[in-house]
Amino acid sequence: MHISEGVLSAPVLVTGAALAAVGVSVGLKKIDYEKIPHVAVLSSAFFVASLIHVPVGPSSVHLILNGINGVLLGWSCFPAILVALALQAILFQFGGITVLGVNTVTMALPGVICYYLFARLVNQQKGGLSLVAAFACGFLAVLCSGILVAISLLFTEESFMSVAKLIILAHVPVMIIEGIITLFCVAFLRRVKPELLGGIYGKG
Amino acid sequence: MEKGDNIWIYPIIFLLASILVISTNIAAFAHKAIVFAWVEGDTVFTESKFSDGKSAIGAQVLVFHRNGKQLLEGRTNNKGEFSFKIPKLTDLRIVLNAGMGHRAEWTIPESEIREAGGFLQEREASQTSKAIPVSLTKKEIKEIVEDSLDTKLRPIVRMMTESQSKGPSVSEIVGGIGYIFGLMGVAIYFKNRKEKKHLEDRND
Repeated sequence: MHISEGVLSAPVLVTGAALAAVGVSVGLKKIDYEKIPHVAVLSSAFFVASLIHVPVGPSSVHLILNGINGVLLGWSCFPAILVALALQAILFQFGGITVLGVNTVTMALPGVICYYLFARLVNQQKGGLSLVAAFACGFLAVLCSGILVAISLLFTEESFMSVAKLIILAHVPVMIIEGIITLFCVAFLRRVKPELLGGIYGKG
Repeated sequence: MEKGDNIWIYPIIFLLASILVISTNIAAFAHKAIVFAWVEGDTVFTESKFSDGKSAIGAQVLVFHRNGKQLLEGRTNNKGEFSFKIPKLTDLRIVLNAGMGHRAEWTIPESEIREAGGFLQEREASQTSKAIPVSLTKKEIKEIVEDSLDTKLRPIVRMMTESQSKGPSVSEIVGGIGYIFGLMGVAIYFKNRKEKKHLEDRND
């Protein structure tokens, strides 16, 4: 879902960069001493996830992992995703440096939305509800990203509805797989390290 | 966590996933688009695809003059190919617009067009200037054939090396993760210093 260099117009790029700057500064403020390694681990997970193609159906897309990033990090997923995207742009030539701001917002904002919607639910006592929330979180984060990409492309020549439809349809397999991955992550964390889910939420 | 309660969720999700995956039938889509172009005679051939090897079907191809003026435009066929007669003897900048924020460029330098003998004036000149000797040894014929094969195959060889070098290598991936953890170290270092200073101030 990386937008390439040279597609977007200058106002969109500037708006994206400004929004990303706000998100990153809020996120950095929320990082405390113990949280730094969490941010780094999830940032590298995001960095590598884009290399994992989902070879199902005629469309081939890759994992994003912004749902789990958001629900575990809250606002701190902004700096995590910014760093990962910058490295993807430099090392893999995915996306690009000028579109870094826009790409950060399209990936990290859904993470933050998911954090507010689902963090409390994921951190529930009831296992079933928590896992359903985790699945919804992974699913919805990718969906929101698709919509945000379509919005940022709105100002180029492409029509919003057709782009949104295409992106979202292409990402249906990813949404489901991300949902399942988020579900397993949460299930695993609940069993092994429940304070990771709760602790962050308490401080976030 | 009550394991028995949620165990039925997984098969249902997988079933749902596979149904959705089979039913979605949409255009190829990955995070990076690539366009290749080469000259054969008076025609330029272009091939467009995504970084995972799928062809870009029905994508817009724009051809620009060296001075930035658009010369022609077209759409790729269902193999991702598009060809056109050379409109002008100049550097040709070929821009692929694969939609959803995917864009790629390829430039054919003027020298390559000249070498291919494609442009009409060039061809006429070469036809009148040389008379082919009647008697050729086997060795000479072989040399001529090899020579022309080399020129014809050069762009294909270049294309292949180009496409092979596109994917991120293991060293880049590991390097990226290394960068993230390096940044984590820097962040911890500064946080640590701040905290130490804070403690010292308190002690004073």
